[in-house]
Amino acid sequence: MILYSLKNIKKYYTGRTVLDISELDIHSGNIYTLSGPNGAGKTTFLNILSFLLMPSSGRLEFLDIPVKFNEKYLQQLRQTVVLVNQHPILFSTSVYKNIEFGLKVRKIPLKKRKKMIESALDLVDMKGFINADARHLSGGETRRIAIARAIACSPGALLLDEPTADLDLESRLTIENIIRQIHAQKNITIIFCTHDLSQASRLTSKNIYFLNGQIHDIYHENIFKGDLVASKPDEFYCKINEKILIPVQSTDKDKIKISIHPEKINIIDCKKKDSDVSLSYMGCVTHLGMEKDKIRAVIDIGISVSVLMEKSEYDLHMLRLNDSVKINFDVSGTTIL
Amino acid sequence: MSFLTDSFLSALKLMASLDAALIEIVTVSLKVSVSSTFIACFIGVPAGFVISTYNIPFKRSVITLLNTLLALPTVVIGLFVYAFISRNSIFGTYDLLYTQQAIIIGQSILIIPIVCVFTLSAINRIDKRYRKTALTLGANQVQTALVILVEARFGIIASVVAAFGRVISEIGISMMLGGNIRGFTRTMTTAMALQYDKGEFVLAVALGIILLSISLSVNILLNYFQGKSSE
Repeated sequence: MILYSLKNIKKYYTGRTVLDISELDIHSGNIYTLSGPNGAGKTTFLNILSFLLMPSSGRLEFLDIPVKFNEKYLQQLRQTVVLVNQHPILFSTSVYKNIEFGLKVRKIPLKKRKKMIESALDLVDMKGFINADARHLSGGETRRIAIARAIACSPGALLLDEPTADLDLESRLTIENIIRQIHAQKNITIIFCTHDLSQASRLTSKNIYFLNGQIHDIYHENIFKGDLVASKPDEFYCKINEKILIPVQSTDKDKIKISIHPEKINIIDCKKKDSDVSLSYMGCVTHLGMEKDKIRAVIDIGISVSVLMEKSEYDLHMLRLNDSVKINFDVSGTTIL
Repeated sequence: MSFLTDSFLSALKLMASLDAALIEIVTVSLKVSVSSTFIACFIGVPAGFVISTYNIPFKRSVITLLNTLLALPTVVIGLFVYAFISRNSIFGTYDLLYTQQAIIIGQSILIIPIVCVFTLSAINRIDKRYRKTALTLGANQVQTALVILVEARFGIIASVVAAFGRVISEIGISMMLGGNIRGFTRTMTTAMALQYDKGEFVLAVALGIILLSISLSVNILLNYFQGKSSE
C-alpha cells in the first residue's frame, strides 16, 4: 500500500529551492533512510511528510487522498504521523505526562492511558523513568522518551530526524535496536534521516539519497568544497586545503563541490616503493565497519575520507584502527556536483 | 528624629489595634488593585501570546507602541479616562466618575501593556520546538497554545506580579478618577497623600508600612518566579 505519494513537490525559502522532488512513492510498513549532506533537504522533506510544513507547489497524497493544507484537516492527519526532531524537546513535566499528552489529545480514556504509557516506555527500555522529571534526563534518555511519546500515539508512520546524531556508540546501538523492535512489533512505517551509512545499511535497504534538494539514484559520498586549480593545461585539481589536492575533470567554475566515490580511493601499501603514485596522502584509520559484504574504513588525512573496499582487499592491507595508511585519488572517482 | 520614631510606634499600635479606617482603606486598595490586575491578565496574556506567536500586521509597530505605553504616566491615563467618563462625555451616562470601577478602568489601562509586553517576552524565550512538538503529537491550535503558556508560566506569573506591584502603589489614577472618597474610593496611596496634607502622620506612616510590606512580598514573589523562569 502506498502511504505517501509525492508529485512535483517543491519548497522555496526566500527564492532558493530547498526541495524539488519530481516523483516519489513511499510504501507502508517499510523502513526508509534519508541520507545526504547537510542542507540537502532531508529535514524539509520530513517536515512536509509530517504535515508541519506546506510545500510551495506540487501534489502530496497520503493514503491515496490529496493533502489539503488547511489547519483543521492537517490536525487530523498529524494524529496519524509523528515526527521526532533531531534534538527532541520534552515538556517540562514528568515523563508520564509527556507521553500522556499525545493520548490526551487523541481522547484516549484515562483507564487505558497508563497501560499504553507503560507499554511505550517498555519498548524503549525506560519503564523505570515513568515518574522522572523530564528536565533531568540525559540526551540519549530524552531521545528514547521522545520516541516512546511518539510510539504511544500509535502512528501510521514514525519520522525520525537523525535519531542517533551526537550520541555515543552505546546509545546509537540502543536507538537502532529500538527502531528494529518498533518495526518488528508494530509494523509501523519508519522514515529516518542519518549520515551514518553503515547504520542505514544495517536497518534497511531502502535508502533515499538527497543532494541539493533533489533525490538522486547515485549515492554521493565524500563531498568536499574547494577551489579549482590547474598544474598543467590538462590537469585540474580541487584544492580542499593547503595540503590536499584531489584530481578532477576540467570545469569552468572557480569554486567547486566534488564527491569522491568511496570504492575508487586507492589504498597504497606503505612498504612498497610508490614512485609512480603521485599525490598520495598519509592518514590514520579512525573507523572500520562491515557494510553488507564490504568493509568501510574512515581515514583521516587532514579531512575524513570514507573508503569502501572488498573483503579481499581489506585482508590484503590488514587494516586496523589507528594504523597509518597511504591513499590516493583517481580522477575517474571524482564527480563535480 | 523623635517625630519619626513616635509616628512609627503609633502606627504600629494602630495596626495592632486593627483600626477600622485602616482596614477599610487597605481593603479598597486591594480590591481595586486585584480587580485591575485580573482584567489586565485577561486581556494582556492572550494579546501577548497572539503578538508573539502569529505574524500579525504591523507587528513591530505594535510592540514599539506597547513598549512606549510602559512609560505612560498615571496622570495622563487619569486625564484620558476622565475625558471619557465625566458627566458630559461619551460614557457619562454610566456615572462611573469617582467610583471604584473608574479606578479599575484606569489601572487596567496602566498595566495591560506591562502584562502584554512581559508575556510576549516570556513566550519569545520559549523554545520554538515546543510548538512543533505539540503539533506533531496531534494537538490543535488551542492545545498547542496551552502547551506554550504552560512552558512560559513562570515568566507570565512574574508579569502579573509586576503589574500588581505597579497598581498597588500608584496614586495619579486613584486620585483623579476615584476622588479619594472616604470608605469608597480612598486607597492607601490617596489616604497617605491626604494625611500628609493634614499634617497627621500616624495613619500615613501605618499605611506606608503596609504598602512597603505588600511591595516587599510582591518583589519576593517576582524574584522567585523570575528565578524559576530562567531555570
